[in-house]
Amino acid sequence: MNWFLNSMLAYWVVLLLFSLGAAAVIYFIWLKDSLI
Amino acid sequence: MFEFAIAGISAPIFLLVLTGMTVGMVGGFIGVGGGYMVTPALIVFGFPGYMASGIDVMHIAGKSVVATIRHRQLGNIDWILGLTMVGGTMMGVEMGVRLLNYTKALGLSGIALLTGSVGIMIGLFLYTQIETHKAQKKINELTKAGKTVGRELSVSTLPLFFQSIALRPIVRCHTARIVISMWVIVIIGIATGVLAGFFGVGGGFIRVPALVYIAGATTHIAVGTDLLEIVVSGGYGALRQYMSGNVDMIAVWFMIIGAMFGAQFGSIATSFVRGPAIRYILSYSLVLATTGAFLRLFYMLTGQQYQFLNFFAIVFTLGEMIFLCLFIMTLVIFSVRHRHGKWVPGWIPSLVATP
Repeated sequence: MNWFLNSMLAYWVVLLLFSLGAAAVIYFIWLKDSLI
Repeated sequence: MFEFAIAGISAPIFLLVLTGMTVGMVGGFIGVGGGYMVTPALIVFGFPGYMASGIDVMHIAGKSVVATIRHRQLGNIDWILGLTMVGGTMMGVEMGVRLLNYTKALGLSGIALLTGSVGIMIGLFLYTQIETHKAQKKINELTKAGKTVGRELSVSTLPLFFQSIALRPIVRCHTARIVISMWVIVIIGIATGVLAGFFGVGGGFIRVPALVYIAGATTHIAVGTDLLEIVVSGGYGALRQYMSGNVDMIAVWFMIIGAMFGAQFGSIATSFVRGPAIRYILSYSLVLATTGAFLRLFYMLTGQQYQFLNFFAIVFTLGEMIFLCLFIMTLVIFSVRHRHGKWVPGWIPSLVATP
């Protein structure tokens, strides 16, 4: 757990997954029906 | 949804404001215009490609003025360095556009663009990552040895070579604290301008590393001075795009509403971090943009058959902007916590500025 909390790589991965998830939510709510 | 009459489409206002805010924050922090993130995002929202490019350049011109003013107040602009480079940059952009037209005439522009952009972005990402990682390690070693470390540390030896070139006239850049041949600065401007003109971007993601690793400016000065360049090149680009009818001003205004806040926050955030933190965010933006471009390319090359590739490309385009913003906000929050003696992850102290 200590390694995870102090690891920049772990933080990077978690943040990226969170961001991609937020982007997927935005896609499904606002963009899905109007896309190219 | 809002009807954009000139663009001929409906698009959600919230997403335009959010895009302006996120790219404004990233641009104010790492000194880029953000065109390589905004143009694909606008295309995803439904704007035609030429209109996406025009709206992007117009919003970049406005946003970079806001960010430049803030960086000037923070003391991050070297006017001598910036104004010396401007002429070279404009010349380089014109040469880059002509080179693009030449490769287009040979039928090679698509391949040349893709190969060139991927090569440069991956090369910059690798060099910046390796150098910044070494700089972070050195900061940790110096801190453990009880020495005070300033807000900038770079381990690259390239600037020493370029600063030793004795071609007159020699310019003294007082704010950047470098003494260097004017021709080196002009050639940096021309080279980065050619790349910017060829790839159709502002060039910040090339110019900031060039100012750091070739001229030897600190990262904060490179960011502020590059934003000054973007005011000039973006302003010219915006004028040309507007004259060509490629701009929907209502869309631009919505983006600038978001960018006004984002660019301010991003610029101010630089005062909470050390140079390596800015270089890390720059390298992440390069690798994420390249990944998004690859996904888009695979989707096009497979005849648009596989919708999941399109879905991932869109999610990456939007997710990249959210990721970079959240990372910047993280650095600021942890910097404040570190100053107050509270717990922060082990990788934070070497990246944040101490008062």
